[in-house]
Amino acid sequence: MTFKNTLKNSAQWLILILTSAFVLIPVYMIVTASFKNEREIFEVPMALWTENSGLFNFQRLDRFPLYIWNSIKVTFFCTVIHLGTASTSAYAFTKLKWKGRDTLFILYLMSMMIPIQVIIIPQFMVVKSLGLYNSHLALILVGSFTVFGTFLIKQFFMTLPDSLMESARIDGAHEWVIFLRIVLPLAKTVLATVLIFSFRWFWNEFFSALIYLASPELKTLPLGMTDFVAEYMVYFGPQMAAALISIIPVMILFFSLQRYFIQGIASSGIKG
Amino acid sequence: MKTKTLERASWPTVLSFLLPGFTGFLLFVFIPMISTIGVAFTNYSGGPRWKFIGFRNFQLLLESSQFHQSLLVTLQFVFFTVLLQMVLGLLFAMLLNQGFRGTTFFRSLFFMPNVLSAVGVSLAFSLLFHPSQGFANQLLGILGLPPNTWLTSSDTALMSIIIVTLWMSFGYYMIIFLGGLQSINPALYEAASIDGANGFHTFFKITLPMLSPTMFFAMTMSIINSFKVFDQVFMMTGGQDGGGPAGSTNVVVFDVYQNSFKNYKFGYASAESLLLLLIILTITLIQFRNQKKWVTYDL
Repeated sequence: MTFKNTLKNSAQWLILILTSAFVLIPVYMIVTASFKNEREIFEVPMALWTENSGLFNFQRLDRFPLYIWNSIKVTFFCTVIHLGTASTSAYAFTKLKWKGRDTLFILYLMSMMIPIQVIIIPQFMVVKSLGLYNSHLALILVGSFTVFGTFLIKQFFMTLPDSLMESARIDGAHEWVIFLRIVLPLAKTVLATVLIFSFRWFWNEFFSALIYLASPELKTLPLGMTDFVAEYMVYFGPQMAAALISIIPVMILFFSLQRYFIQGIASSGIKG
Repeated sequence: MKTKTLERASWPTVLSFLLPGFTGFLLFVFIPMISTIGVAFTNYSGGPRWKFIGFRNFQLLLESSQFHQSLLVTLQFVFFTVLLQMVLGLLFAMLLNQGFRGTTFFRSLFFMPNVLSAVGVSLAFSLLFHPSQGFANQLLGILGLPPNTWLTSSDTALMSIIIVTLWMSFGYYMIIFLGGLQSINPALYEAASIDGANGFHTFFKITLPMLSPTMFFAMTMSIINSFKVFDQVFMMTGGQDGGGPAGSTNVVVFDVYQNSFKNYKFGYASAESLLLLLIILTITLIQFRNQKKWVTYDL
């Protein structure tokens, strides 16, 4: 029995270690290749640092400071707007009673099923007719609401007893006062969860940028990385340097706030 | 602790809360969704002149071999991705649910790829899959195996895309399954072990049935997400002109993108995307219908 257990244990650890390697190798390669020249990138085993390593790949990304700035700008505004629209919508869906409420929410949930490509042509026409084509505002408005965020906050609001609002209502407080003074301060954790999910979403967002941005000086970081795909001569070093820049902020965010990430996903799985 | 039911709120109040989010939904999702249905019956190509052409687009699609292939590629991708996401997600959730030391470390590590930029990750895997000098082939060489063609052959390109997708997503499903496993009442396992049930029995008689609501949720998400795969295909198989060798990674959403933003066949692309949506809708409905047969909500 003990022998069988040891065998089982070793097998489990072997699986875990091999999978860790599978997960880590691409990340390790991005980190190390960013500092290597084109020849040494392909050397196996991949060295952490060689005598020829340096910052030269980053220096070749001359347009990327602008891309990074664009990404920061769009991500910031989108995330703030997400928080606002998701929390007010969630309040309307849980703590206010009105006709058609549940039907509309089901419609919201069903829209998660639609791939963006299905609606992109008319959406593109709407954006164009609003005069927003080739602007950051297009990305910000197209992404101004979030079903997932609304759902998460709604799940939390449902746990708040109605009596909490009821006494304030009897005292004649306006719903907005109740929302801002009583409900929102209780929702800090779920708001933080929505914040990091939205940050990750917009920092990585690619398709809308691809469709709505035409000028090179407007490109966000993920769209900027397509510069490489179009190039005839492929240099891998600068590509990896760009990939590194794109993954570092979310990695820092993830490892410092992973509790929120994991809670957010786990609670989206619990039926509500 | 439910008190009396809420009073109806006044419409101005409701709208003041609802409109900030709903306006975006209406303008950029709902109206476009309805319009797609309209555009699908026209020959609209961006110019001022267009007309209704009835079911012509649908007819062309059903005759198009490119669409057939695209559909086949998508179904292959969805089938293998969903299957492997479920198997790997459940396997690693069970491995990490035993409560040994280091569990949280592995949990974080396996989930981490999920937060990274698909575009950045695709660049990295393009390098790993480099046909002559990539790490993947060098590793195969060290293990004494012949090199693989990865993204350069129509036989292996889709598999390469599936590998990248799994790399990014298996941790997500693992977290969902972990949540499900942890909500199973431990008394059930105790009772089973008193009755002398072996691991095989406990898995099929307790774990799987108790996990079925989670499995249902995970599978629904996995199917829907798999139909949406785009970034990897774009980045790893040639950008705007991509779709893999001989169209082997040309999933329907990518084909829709090419037909609309490269070929400007807006009407045709709308019809194509409607058919795709119809397929997703049908599969999801079948899933919801069938859940009665295998999903246990009681106990």
